[in-house]
Amino acid sequence: MSDATAPSEIPADLAQVAEEKGISLDIVRRALALGFPPDAVKQNLSMPGVTPEAAEAFIAEQEKIRAGGVINIPPELAETAAAHKFPEALIKRALALGAPPAMLINQMQAGITAEQAEGFIVQQEALRGGAGGEVQLDLSWMKVPTEWGIRVKPGRKGLTVGMINVGTYADVPDYWPYHTEMPRGAYPIPGVPSMGYSIFEKAELWSENSADLYEEAIQRRWRPSSDVPWLSMEDLDPDVEKAVCQLCTHISERSLVAGDIVGRWLPEMSYGYHEVKLYLSTAEFDAARWFEVFRKRALSNGGGLGVQSPGYFHRAMIDARAWTETSAVLHILANSQLKMLFDIGYYTSHNDAERTIFSYCLQDVARQRAYGSQHLRYFLTRKIERREEVHHYLNKYEALLEYEWECDIPLRESLMILLGGGATPELMRDGALKLEYFRQRWANDYIDQLSAAGLGERRKKVHHSIKKYLPQPEEAVAAA
Amino acid sequence: MTEATTTKATFPSVAWFEAVREIVNNDAGYKHHGTCDATVGIKIPDIQKYFKLTFEAFEVDEIKECDEAESENTDFWLEQTYAKWKEMIENIKANGKADLHHTLNTLDIEDPNDLARSNDGYRRDAFYRFNQSFQHFFDVSEQIDTEFV
Repeated sequence: MSDATAPSEIPADLAQVAEEKGISLDIVRRALALGFPPDAVKQNLSMPGVTPEAAEAFIAEQEKIRAGGVINIPPELAETAAAHKFPEALIKRALALGAPPAMLINQMQAGITAEQAEGFIVQQEALRGGAGGEVQLDLSWMKVPTEWGIRVKPGRKGLTVGMINVGTYADVPDYWPYHTEMPRGAYPIPGVPSMGYSIFEKAELWSENSADLYEEAIQRRWRPSSDVPWLSMEDLDPDVEKAVCQLCTHISERSLVAGDIVGRWLPEMSYGYHEVKLYLSTAEFDAARWFEVFRKRALSNGGGLGVQSPGYFHRAMIDARAWTETSAVLHILANSQLKMLFDIGYYTSHNDAERTIFSYCLQDVARQRAYGSQHLRYFLTRKIERREEVHHYLNKYEALLEYEWECDIPLRESLMILLGGGATPELMRDGALKLEYFRQRWANDYIDQLSAAGLGERRKKVHHSIKKYLPQPEEAVAAA
Repeated sequence: MTEATTTKATFPSVAWFEAVREIVNNDAGYKHHGTCDATVGIKIPDIQKYFKLTFEAFEVDEIKECDEAESENTDFWLEQTYAKWKEMIENIKANGKADLHHTLNTLDIEDPNDLARSNDGYRRDAFYRFNQSFQHFFDVSEQIDTEFV
């Protein structure tokens, strides 16, 4: 066959694949001369079971077809086509385009319809429709004026989202001017309809650690079904089992709400800040996983679900009108309290399963707090005039959270039972004292988080029922 | 028949932490937890011993003995008395891993001043974000024949 195609015209990677398969470069040249794109030839040669003999037979058949010869349909293909009601003419058109018979059989068996196949074949025929079988291409898109030649190498953690922020792709503008789903760094085309985003300003959602938190969440993911040693559980005292199940019910419920809240805000965030959207998608998944694992715990050791929470606080969070308000309340205030619940669950674990669950959950919730505190820090440094607004949010939600705490007797009593070790009055008194200890830890931890976000003065303004747990100024001085 | 070899090392010392580091850096179980990036101080104030550990990606990068100020110039530091450190390590040796009363989390909860301390609430959260990696680090010390000063 023709030697018109110089060896230098065979891409090096294609030549390497051919060599590995023992297929001569002459066959490769004949395939290219037939108009098959180099990538397609390489992909087909790479498939398992491709031998030099099979490649020769396929190319010879294609050359015969292009020369006007009869198109033979292999018996097995004909049988499959008949069974799936594919017209013979359609099969011949597919073979004329170079489709391997085995692939056609697979496609039909996978359920593709004759109509779908014809649509695809028409497209391919149009691409080959030029004179002499030349492909008619536009290719103007290849002159896209984006930064080119980027070649980021993986590091010790692999190829991370943060690492590919190089050159112009690292430019994260303070204001994102596009209303479409165009990824940052791509080239816009006119006329694309708006996606309806409402957050276009970096200060309204950005956190410097978002890309790292996304990678961390992916790296440190866990599977409730198989990472938790469920068989380590044994029967508990019935009152204690009821307390565990009430705690599980509460966490499941607030996890559902947390997932809904984040899910509601994601479509509002424009694509200029994909690092945040990526991280928050994992936070939404955290919430789903918490719901899953606590429901599983409640339903796997002889118990069941408990009673619903009053829900004042959760419902108020859903009604928040700004993402920074939502994040400060959900990721710092609510999640600091949730961390207290995880701490109590961990501290009172009755088996390896519970210890594992709470240990993983602590890791997840700390990641969410890391986003929350660093977003608030970013917001406060760019929106100095809105500092009081943040206090306003917190005034409202701290009061609601404390009201919810007072109203949620099932939750508080279940925690007392867990911490006391039983439901007798004496044990519950002990549990109540320990619960106060955990509340004190939570209050200080919450203020530490806000201080890290740059809102240290909150210590003076925090709701009185939280403030009572904080060291008084004289004590703080003495402690120092 | 193979004969198990056990590293002997004295706690606290750079050699002891290096022995632990050697184990976790070759431990698929440690890598399974995912990447861990943190600088961690170790403080044993009653015997004036201070160390700084650097965790990066899937490995422990660096161990060094340092002064108190440097051990605090970290994301967080773990601080407890020598007796509490000894009890924790002996418990790990006896059980193959820390029992619930001797995990880093439990020790942190039970200490009114916290086991994990920091000057920054955000940086302190690294203790929770990578807690399983840190617990794994100390748990593998059960493979070391630890002597105490």
